[in-house]
Amino acid sequence: MRTTSAILSKIFTQRFYIQNTGFFLVLFYLLFGVVNGANLIAYHKALMLGFLGNYSFLLLVMLLWTSYALKCVGFILKTFQLQGYDFLFPTMGSVSKPARIRLWLLLHTAIYMPVLVYAGIALIVAVQYQYYVPAALIVVLNIANCVWPLRLYERKLAQPDILFFTGHLQRWLNRHFTKPPVLFFLYELFTNFPRRIVSTKLFSAGVLWLTFLIMERGEYFDLRGLQIGVMVSVMIHMQLMVHHRAFDDTYLHFMENLPIRLINHYARLIGVYVIMFLPEMVMLAVNGYTKTPIGGLITVFCTALSLLILFRCLLYFSKMNPEIHVRYTMLTSFIVLFMILGHYEWPAILLLQAASAIIFFKKYRSYEPYIPPES
Amino acid sequence: MSDPVIALHAVKKNYQDVPILDIPRLELSKGIYWLQGENGAGKTTCMKVMAGLIPFKGEILLQGNVSSRQHPVQFRRLINYAEAEPLYPSFLTGRDLLELYLNTKGGDREEIQDISERMGVDIYVNNPVSSYSSGMLKKLSLLLAFTGTPALILLDEPLITIDTRALMVLYDLIRTYSAKGVSFCITSHQALDEEELTVTGTLKVAHKNITLS
Repeated sequence: MRTTSAILSKIFTQRFYIQNTGFFLVLFYLLFGVVNGANLIAYHKALMLGFLGNYSFLLLVMLLWTSYALKCVGFILKTFQLQGYDFLFPTMGSVSKPARIRLWLLLHTAIYMPVLVYAGIALIVAVQYQYYVPAALIVVLNIANCVWPLRLYERKLAQPDILFFTGHLQRWLNRHFTKPPVLFFLYELFTNFPRRIVSTKLFSAGVLWLTFLIMERGEYFDLRGLQIGVMVSVMIHMQLMVHHRAFDDTYLHFMENLPIRLINHYARLIGVYVIMFLPEMVMLAVNGYTKTPIGGLITVFCTALSLLILFRCLLYFSKMNPEIHVRYTMLTSFIVLFMILGHYEWPAILLLQAASAIIFFKKYRSYEPYIPPES
Repeated sequence: MSDPVIALHAVKKNYQDVPILDIPRLELSKGIYWLQGENGAGKTTCMKVMAGLIPFKGEILLQGNVSSRQHPVQFRRLINYAEAEPLYPSFLTGRDLLELYLNTKGGDREEIQDISERMGVDIYVNNPVSSYSSGMLKKLSLLLAFTGTPALILLDEPLITIDTRALMVLYDLIRTYSAKGVSFCITSHQALDEEELTVTGTLKVAHKNITLS
């Protein structure tokens, strides 16, 4: 007969490691694959002594461990919300509280184990080299990272409707704040696809950072160079646009029965992308305000937003699948690139805006998802 | 004779190249209509076309002069639709949806609050729809169909999944709104209770057309 912990381990622990195989492969490569096998122990010992002897470095390591703990917590909480896993509520809810806490602890530590193993070795090194304060910090942090999630799991069991960590805050927000339609897609991304939005934003920020770095190393600043970086950043958002269309098709169908003017639907679409691109605009403003006048920054923002809106509007052609979409976005980008290089930024922006508006106003009411015929 | 509440002129709907609806002409005066048809006959498609949810060829007029093509906003103000299997984004609460409907369709907030309490929606309206059962979701979508000042309410399979108390409330609402001049078009595979509702006519969807009997 299988024990409860074995069944739960299959549901949580095994699924976690299977789903994150790629993540662990990359991590193992970075930790153990980049150095010669003969120097591996010396390398890790030096690494550990490095963070044990420097509090800033130790803080960074502890932040990394805590972010991994958050990943573990997110995985367990999300499992409860998956279709077909509803049975966890009545079954786990029927277990006595002390036994349930033990089960939570077992499951959580099982997926937090890679950190515990590494931290354990670091602890031995710390004691050997008499780094007692860092050793104490490591112990306290890891105990805390194993204990605080248990409270969240208990809360999730009692309040299945809580999506975020702060149940009271979410309930308060739900009572006092109505989500405007312009935020629907962003809510969808942050609640159901956080990895997708975070990875897109990280890549996008990386491209912009690289653009500024290249221009700084070359000791020149050309607005056109920045605009090219921004164009790449926009293209990184393409997967979100395809997702946006799928979200609208699946969940916002009901809005077509609402008496909303086309211009308001268009304003909502623009709003979605303005909000979505806000972090990049802040980054551009912070890094670029000393190098270019405000007019230059406005040109860059308008180019980015015009491209984003046109690329999204292209998806109102119902037969535009992701492959065809890439072709059209590449073609548009090349045309815009040459216009930018020729200092025709504003004509390019106006053309992009006009094309977006024409497509939207012509296509929005007649759009419906395309179902490819079976061959 | 007064203008028909809804008139369909040369309405055609295809899914890709497959014709689903081909209605040369259909006019309905005020009343309560039971829309019948076999599975896959096109009842839901017909309702979605009438509600302005999906594109189609032809024209639909409400109250004789509000055109689906020329007055798309006014058209949507006069027609409400409750889906058979409503689907909303998981993170939205019932209140988010209710506010959105009231802000766009308008209507009497107190009246809607009263219906919400009668149907028992007020108990869970602040929770995200992801925590709703199918019956709770259905009651919310029925509540949304009574927002605004519609001339016609389309109810797609309203009798399924809701509890008997909510069903009695629904029958009462249809009677009350009908007395105020609102028309209804209801699809249901189950027979509508004759003691609760007096049906003006029966619509049959067959061979891509709709006929009134």
